[in-house]
Amino acid sequence: MNSRVSLTYPRPAESVAAPAATGRAPDGRPLLTRRSATLILLGAASTTAAVLQLRPSGTDEPGTGPESFDETYLGRRITGVRSSDAAAGGVPAWQVAVDGRPLHLMRRADGSYLSMVDHYASYPTPLDAARGAVAELGDQQLRPHVGGM
Amino acid sequence: MVHTRQNQNTFSTAQKRRFVDAVLALKRSGRYDEFVRTHIDFYVGDGDGALRVAHMTPSFFPWHRKFLLEFERALQKKDPGVTVPYWDWTVDRTPAVSLWGEDFLGGNGRRSDRQVTTGPFARRHGNWTVTEAVTDGDFLMRDFGRPQAPVDLPSKAELAGAMDETQYDAKPWNSLSAGGFRNKLEGWPSRRGDRTWFNHNRVHRWVSGHMLGAGSVNDPVFWLHHAFVDLCWSRWRRRHPDVDPYLPLERPGLGDPQHGRVLAAGDVMPPWNIPLRDMLEHTSLYRYE
Ligand SMILES: [Cu+2]
Ligand SMILES: [Cu+2]
Repeated sequence: MNSRVSLTYPRPAESVAAPAATGRAPDGRPLLTRRSATLILLGAASTTAAVLQLRPSGTDEPGTGPESFDETYLGRRITGVRSSDAAAGGVPAWQVAVDGRPLHLMRRADGSYLSMVDHYASYPTPLDAARGAVAELGDQQLRPHVGGM
Repeated sequence: MVHTRQNQNTFSTAQKRRFVDAVLALKRSGRYDEFVRTHIDFYVGDGDGALRVAHMTPSFFPWHRKFLLEFERALQKKDPGVTVPYWDWTVDRTPAVSLWGEDFLGGNGRRSDRQVTTGPFARRHGNWTVTEAVTDGDFLMRDFGRPQAPVDLPSKAELAGAMDETQYDAKPWNSLSAGGFRNKLEGWPSRRGDRTWFNHNRVHRWVSGHMLGAGSVNDPVFWLHHAFVDLCWSRWRRRHPDVDPYLPLERPGLGDPQHGRVLAAGDVMPPWNIPLRDMLEHTSLYRYE
């Protein structure tokens, strides 16, 4: 799990070591303290913990675990699978779908998730983001081919 | 030529009609949907490792200033007398204000499917079909105040909290910046797990429907909202004339998590590839009344 933690927030330790040109506030306070860097690390760790808790409560079917979810929410089927090649981009990638149509998720720096349906808030987990999107969808379906970048 | 942008609540009937007509003309030509697409394409999350120029990033203000300017110029090709008005959401806070009138932007979406059925952008008039969007409905959607998870428009005090910031932006230059004007006005909570959204973000949430998602530009109120955000930036600069108008001054170095992911003051800004510095001052281009 440790390697995954560091992947979640790339190289936080170096950002402390590197004295940046604009690293101090006008009052002389360092803008990124060792304490805040530690908090970043803790945040990354709790993100991993949140991902581990993704298993929807009360389900024990094989294949439903921290790396995936599959449930019906407000009458819509939402599925999510964590990509195995997550290390490529430095952050875990999720393939999430609503009724089989891809729901593109973006990541916030604190490890939370935004969906294409809701861009001005973020959710603790991919499952939360998918549920939030379903609640917004009403009777509509996701359009195919509207991904992110 | 210096144009003047004015508060939408001072618009005459004729001004409303000219603005609406120019927007509809852009929609007819297909140009409007290019703006929608550009905004979708440039929304990059700050946890995703790529360069961010539009959101969760110091260049949030200059990027949207240029985006609005391009839109305004496109409008002016249809009608040279038109400029983008601004919506001061600390003042015009209810669904009853003239902004949402039949002769301007139309009103709230209806309960059943959030479809906007009043005003010039109602689907039934045939002038406003949504094509670049996340969901398959082709009609404009609004859901004022999100009754299922109620949200108010930002208060004057909330906006003042951003305007009082004495620094343009702060490390880590993203949606977790605890200080700095930019993140306070863009409206991301800096504390982990905090799910309160402020100012700019909160307005997107209050209008809701298309304004909530990647296709927010589909709602013409996007422009009036961002014109006010731009005005707030302008006012902030006047209130803090002695601080750096933009930060970071230098690109974050190799060991910095933001290396290659944010624009510094001397950088060129995609997709227009203009010097970011060109957008720090607007008085030679347009003024606010
Ligand atoms: Cu935007
Ligand atoms: Cu916006």
